[in-house]
Amino acid sequence: MNNEQARQTIFRVLGEIAPEVEPSTVDDSSDLTEQLDLDSMDYLNWMLGINEATGIDIPQREVSRFLTIDGAVEYLVSHSQ
Amino acid sequence: MIDFVLPSLGADMDQAKLNSWLVKPGDTVHKGQIIAEVETDKAVLEVECWDEGVVEELVLSPGPTRLPVGTVLAHIRLLEGAEPPPKQKEPEQALAPPPIPPPAPHAAPTPPIRHLAHEIGVDLARVSGTGPDGEITREDVRLAATALLGREQRVKASPFARRLADELGVDLADVHAGGPEGLVTAKDVQALGAGRHAATPPHTAVEPPEPEGKAATMRRAIARSMAHSKREIPHYYLASHIDLDRALRWLTAQNEERPITERILPAAMLLKATALALRETPDLNGHWVDGGFTPSEAVHLGVAISLREGGLVAPAIHDADRLDLAEMMTSLTDLVKRARSWRLRSSEMSDPTITVTNLGERGVETAFPVIIPPQVAIVGFGRIVDMPVAIEGQAAVHPVVHATLAGDHRVTDGHRGGLFLDALDRLLQEPESL
Repeated sequence: MNNEQARQTIFRVLGEIAPEVEPSTVDDSSDLTEQLDLDSMDYLNWMLGINEATGIDIPQREVSRFLTIDGAVEYLVSHSQ
Repeated sequence: MIDFVLPSLGADMDQAKLNSWLVKPGDTVHKGQIIAEVETDKAVLEVECWDEGVVEELVLSPGPTRLPVGTVLAHIRLLEGAEPPPKQKEPEQALAPPPIPPPAPHAAPTPPIRHLAHEIGVDLARVSGTGPDGEITREDVRLAATALLGREQRVKASPFARRLADELGVDLADVHAGGPEGLVTAKDVQALGAGRHAATPPHTAVEPPEPEGKAATMRRAIARSMAHSKREIPHYYLASHIDLDRALRWLTAQNEERPITERILPAAMLLKATALALRETPDLNGHWVDGGFTPSEAVHLGVAISLREGGLVAPAIHDADRLDLAEMMTSLTDLVKRARSWRLRSSEMSDPTITVTNLGERGVETAFPVIIPPQVAIVGFGRIVDMPVAIEGQAAVHPVVHATLAGDHRVTDGHRGGLFLDALDRLLQEPESL
């Protein structure tokens, strides 16, 4: 999985959680939960969706990497086969 | 044979439109089966049937008419051996309009009853009360509304005419049918509606036009419920800081062992602790009905869920005190998902015995929530924040949540509320026993 594929997956799943979000308006380097008003359930569901789409597990200790789009992309690319 | 009626749909949700039937005459239905879909101002609800039997007749067809709670929707023939549900009242008794003023002295309708009657268009002067001293109960008003509706439903009218009649406040039974085979058309409704408007004296209050859209109708429903609450319920408020250091350490350790699909959020832990604390203070768990408190043996925990498009719903997690943490998390995930896609069940909306609002999710440090009638308490959780706490004389920084309770002074006082917050604190210090 390259950066672009990871981004596409991330935003596709995000669209299911927060359909009103326009990807071009999201700042990839700042806290997603604050930017998009995600609560803990939205945030968990987003990671669950990514896990389902990619098969990549996201252990508890790595959850903080998913606070930003940049962090999530980096994690997915480095953990994909 | 029993009547399948539109069930209670939650606080101040006295009406719904029948969107669709999921069964047809001749179908066998079983307990808990979803057999219809209705739409309130707040959500599309799946309505369950609580009897075993065969659908004999679908009395009403889907349509835009708002039906009051208690409206007969279908007739179900019970399977042999199945017990019919106990009847609460004889409808004939409640419906019979008094030919002369009743001889027995009767209490004046209470403000909530007058409000309900106004909401669903029932003239209280034509309703005979079956409560103590002839008092008119909510059930009496609903039965009277069903009778009125039955009269209206027998009129043949196009769906558009029904919607228009609903909007103009015109009784279809009063409209002269100008269509083929006695069908009332939109034109007929407009003709009567226009005549009424011309005859309206200038000083008569006219309802403002209603804004369109789900968000607007939901806002109106919330406004009704909250105005009712603030008007009728003498709230008291209590708050406690609860140290979550042990609880969150324990939960993090648990989650380290679990795949992401089985992860448990702190919210599930707070809900479980709330449900268990209510066992110790049962007078916070139940409903205020017809002037008195009815405690509930079961803890059906309402969960306030905000919707991305605005507004909120507070459906119940049933028997929350009997679920383990993993089950609580599964129930919460399922409920939030269905609430946000407007797919809730009527029983979830109708029977919360208390509600929890977790505004900490939105960054709020302390919530001062408003009780959702007919419940008698609501619990609020703020954001979990790191704060200095004193542990055996030493200062330490721990994650702390500000828990609040709003209680109904007609049922409890601050002392009972304080016992609840103490129990909540104690339970959260022993997370492994949750």
